[in-house]
Formats: sequence, C-alpha cells, structure tokens
Amino acid sequence: MTAQIVLQVLLSGLLMGLIYALVASGLALIFGLMDVVNFAHGDFLMVAMYALFVLVAMSGADPLLLAPVVTLVLFAFGAAIYLGIVRFAMRVQTNRGMVQVFTTFGLGLLLQGLAQTIFTPDYRSVDGGIVAGKSVALGGIILPMPHVVGALISLAAFGLIWLLINRTDLGKALEATREDADAVALVGIDRNRVFAIGWGLGSALVGLSASILATFFYIFPGVGNSFVLIAFVTVALGGFGSVYGALAAGVLIGLIEAMTALLVAPSLKMLGVFAVYLAVVTFRPRGLFGSM
Amino acid sequence: MLEVRHLAAGYHGLVALADVSFGVAAGEILVVAGANGAGKSTVLKTVAGVVPARSGTITFDGARIDHLAAHRITRLGMAFVPEERRLFPRMTVRDNLRLGSYLHRRRADREAPLATVLRLFPRLEERMDQLAATLSGGEQQMLAIGRALMTRPRLLMLDEPSQGIMPRLVAEIFRAIEEVRRAGITILLVEQRLTESLAIADKAIILRTGRIVVAGTAAEVRANPEVRSAYLGM
Repeated sequence: MTAQIVLQVLLSGLLMGLIYALVASGLALIFGLMDVVNFAHGDFLMVAMYALFVLVAMSGADPLLLAPVVTLVLFAFGAAIYLGIVRFAMRVQTNRGMVQVFTTFGLGLLLQGLAQTIFTPDYRSVDGGIVAGKSVALGGIILPMPHVVGALISLAAFGLIWLLINRTDLGKALEATREDADAVALVGIDRNRVFAIGWGLGSALVGLSASILATFFYIFPGVGNSFVLIAFVTVALGGFGSVYGALAAGVLIGLIEAMTALLVAPSLKMLGVFAVYLAVVTFRPRGLFGSM
Repeated sequence: MLEVRHLAAGYHGLVALADVSFGVAAGEILVVAGANGAGKSTVLKTVAGVVPARSGTITFDGARIDHLAAHRITRLGMAFVPEERRLFPRMTVRDNLRLGSYLHRRRADREAPLATVLRLFPRLEERMDQLAATLSGGEQQMLAIGRALMTRPRLLMLDEPSQGIMPRLVAEIFRAIEEVRRAGITILLVEQRLTESLAIADKAIILRTGRIVVAGTAAEVRANPEVRSAYLGM
C-alpha cells in the first residue's frame, strides 16, 4: 500500500465526511434548539431530492444552480411542518418524548407513502449538470468533482451557520431559546416563531445537502434511509445538538468509512463507523464533542 | 396605567389568588407584600402572562391584556423580572443585555437604554464579556433588571429583587429601583423586605392566602397596627 493510496482514501473520506456533516447538521440544529429528534429527517432529505428532481425536469437548469431554490423550498416546508404538526405534539402534557418520536416517525412514513404514490418506487436521477462525470486530479490523486464541490458547499454552509449564530440578532435569539425557551418571552421573543425558524433552517440545510447528493446519487422513496442512519450516528458522536460537533463527527465518519473500506473490505465500510459509534456511546455517551 | 379587577388564579386546582383588585398609576411604585405563599408572585406572573388568569380582568393603558401571551405583554411595554431571574446563563452579560433590546431595530433605541443600564449598574460594565452564570447573585439580579430595562418598558415588575443577595447590594438594588422610577418608569414590586420597600413606595397592598388584607398609601400601610405587629415587627 503506497502513501498515495492512503492519501487518496483519506481525501475521499474527508470529502464524503463533509457531505455527511451537512446532511446531519439540520438534525443537530433542531435537536439542539428544542430537544426534539426529527425521525423524519431522512424523509425530509427524500422530499428535497424529489423537489430538485421536479425543478430540474421543469426548468432543465443545472441541479447545483437550483440548490438555493430547493434550500428555500425546504425552509418553508420545515417551518410549515413545525407550525402545522410538531407544535401540537409538543403541547401534550403526558409522555411528551414518545409523542414527539411517533409524530415525526409517522410523518416520515407518510412522506414515503406519498412519494411512492406520486413518483412510483422507480429509481430516478437528475442529470448531474456541470459537475457530472468530472474529476479533479491533484498529483496522482483523483477526486470526483461532485464530492469536491459538495464538500466546499458544506464548508461554506457551516461558515454561514457560524455567522448567523454569532453575528446576528436571530442567532442570539436561537441561542437564547436553546438555553431557556420559557425565558425568551421576557424580552418579547415568541418562542414558537423561533422554533418555526429553527425547523426552517434545519430543513433548509437538508435541502442544500439533497441538492449535493442528487448530483451523484439515485432518488427513490426510501433514499432517506440510506443517509439518515449515518446522520443519527453523526449527531450522536458529535454530541447531541451541537452543530459544530456534527461537522467534526461527519468528517470523522467519512474518514473511518474510507479507511475501513481500504483496510477491511469496501462492502464492510460501515462496520468501522458503527464500531466507533458503539464504543463512543458506551464509554462517552454525551458524544465526542458534547459539552452537556 | 395598570388596572387589576377581581383577579383569580391558581395552579392545578389550588387557588392562589381570589378576587384581587388594585391599580397602579403612571410613575408610581406599588409594593405587593405578604408572607410566603400568600400569592405575591402569582400576582406578577398573572399580570406578566406567565400564569393564566382564571377570572377577572387586567388592563394596561385601557386595553385588556389578560389572555395575551407573555411575549406580547413584554412588547406592550411591561417588563417582568421573575424571582429566578431567568438569565441566559451560558451567554455573556453583553448578549443578555443585547437580547433585551431584541425588539428594537433602531440603533438609538438600543444604545440609550444600554447607557442607562450601565449608569445604573456600573459593575455590569466591568463584566460585559463574562458569562451570566459566573456572576454573583447580586450581579445576576442587576443583569436581570438591566435586561428588562433594555426592552424600554413603561412598567417594570420585580419579583423579590433582594432575595439571595448580600446586604450591601440590597441597598444598591433599592437605590436603582428609585432611580428607575425617577426616569418615569412605573414599578410593581413584590418584596419580603417591607420596611425598605415602603420607604420607596407610593402605595402598598398586603396579601394573605390570595386575598388583599391591607391596602393604602405607603404611610397608611406603615401606620396600620396589624402590619406593624405582623410584618414590621414593631
């Protein structure tokens, strides 16, 4: 095994890891803000991929150019789901945790069923546009263009989240609501509005990651399941609810996955990820970067 | 300015307030006193919209505000400082204050109250970049009052601001309350320390098991024989 192969694998893993991090970021954001785990997270991803599919079919535009549109559509979708459904699930007096789990899980099943009805279970794909089939060569290392662009978009998105949280009033309101959702009314902030924006932002991040994934992955009603498990592992490793923890954990998972594929077998690449996950939840249940 | 009529409230079927009526005129300080469990805090929480009123009416500047959500009441110009203070502990003093002016978009509406707060509590200025959780009890109380003032309220509601604070700072808090009133802000003050409160108050009511038992000007309440023996220890 030459150093070049190792470098190739590590770089591929890094790129994929950054994309995993973006896929998980919305889940982490919503969980951190309001302690609700969105079990329909993967199905939000599926909805976003179909939204992109429809938009590309209608306009013929490049999928990456449509990414901002899908991001906005998903913002509205997420906020609407909060205001129309999740808000009421949070109001129950007894067994609130279970009600939230089953509400979002049921919502996921509903979305999958709707996708089957509307789009049939057939595998679809969007034309990858300008990044499709291209690759970047660095020395002897070859990296697929969709992954390179996806990883860069992911980094840019995390940068924007950082700016939003640290440099804007809305970010401070999100941070304050995360600390004490009952106390924000004391300064005139409507917690429901902040929660709706939080669901919108978390879903917008899903929309952005879907636009990246669609350039190199098939679209079908169960596509969310392929990624949501990794997203849950990412959030758990990163420390529940920490968006930056999700970034670090996503990269770690991408690297472990790539190294397992190289050292063990490509078909067992997730083995390494889940082994690390088990070890972390056993010995450090708050996650690697969790501060709670 | 604030009119409370026949107010009743309670938790889980227990009556905390029964038929409480009082009014606060603009620029006044009204003290609400009474023993533990008499319903003092519930009065403030109900007016602030944190606890729902079971019956009765609350009007602010002539408009009904019972049934309004807490954040709407804050937006009308009524700021509430709860007994537990409810700061954002892992945010800095600066960010806590900044959140107080969240509703105000104009720069002047943010800078003017900040200057007022820092003049009122100079030690907050030294602590601007510290996390709220690292402040002492007295400083946390100052920050809680400061955050409330940042909303530019016309009515300030304080629940036991002297509680859990070292005596030297208690005097500072009472001085600050007087100064806030001098700036034209009406104050509804819940306090156990009746002597100090009556010294700065215009009017007072004393509650017992959810009902008003004594009401009047600060001088009248101070002169009331029952108050003298039961609350002032004279």
